[in-house]
Amino acid sequence: MPDQSHVGRRYTAPGQRIAPESALATARAIAGDGEVREPGAVPPTFAAVYCLGPTLAQLFSDSEVGIDLAGLIHGEQSFEWPEPVHPGDVIDATAEITSVDTRRGMTFVRLAMEATRPADNAVVCRATSLMIVRAPA
Amino acid sequence: MTAPAASEVAVGDSVAPLSRRVTQEQINAYADASGDHNPIHLDPDFARSVGLSGTIAHGLLEMGILAEAIASWAGGNANLLSLSCRFSKPLLPGDTIICTGTVISVDDSGVASLEVGATSDRGDRVLTNGRATVRLSR
Repeated sequence: MPDQSHVGRRYTAPGQRIAPESALATARAIAGDGEVREPGAVPPTFAAVYCLGPTLAQLFSDSEVGIDLAGLIHGEQSFEWPEPVHPGDVIDATAEITSVDTRRGMTFVRLAMEATRPADNAVVCRATSLMIVRAPA
Repeated sequence: MTAPAASEVAVGDSVAPLSRRVTQEQINAYADASGDHNPIHLDPDFARSVGLSGTIAHGLLEMGILAEAIASWAGGNANLLSLSCRFSKPLLPGDTIICTGTVISVDDSGVASLEVGATSDRGDRVLTNGRATVRLSR
C-alpha cells in the first residue's frame, strides 16, 4: 500500500509523440455516435494519453508503492493547458507523488504532472490527479 | 471558430447543455483509444466482483465530453485553458450524461471562469466541484 515514504517519488516518460490517428481515435470515442467537433485538433483531455497514461503506468507497476488496481478509484482530476498541443508534437511527461493520506481504510494518493514540448520549451499541460486506493476486502 | 467577446460575456451566462448517451461500445472505444483497459470499464463480472453494479465509464471519458461542451461555447479547444472536477458518482453504460457550465467571473485579461459539472439522466451528479477557465476574444 502507498504510504508517506513514497511522497516525492517521480516518474518520467520522455518522447511521447502525439500520433494524429490516436488523437482522432480519442476524439471519436468522446463523440460517440456524433460528429467529431474539431477533427484535426487534439482533444484537451488527450493529456490522459500523453501525460497521465505513461507516467501512471509506471506508478501502477511500481512494486515498492504497491497499488492494487482492483481497488483503485480516480477521485479528482485537474488540467491546465498553457499552450495547445498539435498532432506530431513530441512531449516529455513527468509525474510526482505529492501526498499520501490514509483515512477510513482508504488511501488518497495525490500526484502532480507536467508535460513539456522540448521543441519550443513550452509547458503544454499541468495536471493533478487524486487516486483513491481501497483496502483489500 | 472564435471565442465569445469579453465585452459580451456576463456573470450568469450559461453554456448550452450537452447531452450524450454513453454506450458500452463507446466505453470500449475509449479504452482502446486511451490505453486504459482497467476491467471495471470492460468486464461486468469483474466490475461486480469489486462491488459495482456493472461496468462504469472512464472518468476521463466523461471529462472529455465536459471539455467538448465548454470548448464549443469557447469557440474551440485552444480557448479552453483549464478544467477540473471530482468524479463523484459512476456513469453507467446506457446513461445519458448532461454537461453544463455557468460563468462566475470575467477578469480584466479576458479570461472567464465557469462553474461546470455533469449529471446523469438517472439524476446522479457524476462530475462535481467543476471549474473551467476560457480565453475570450477582445
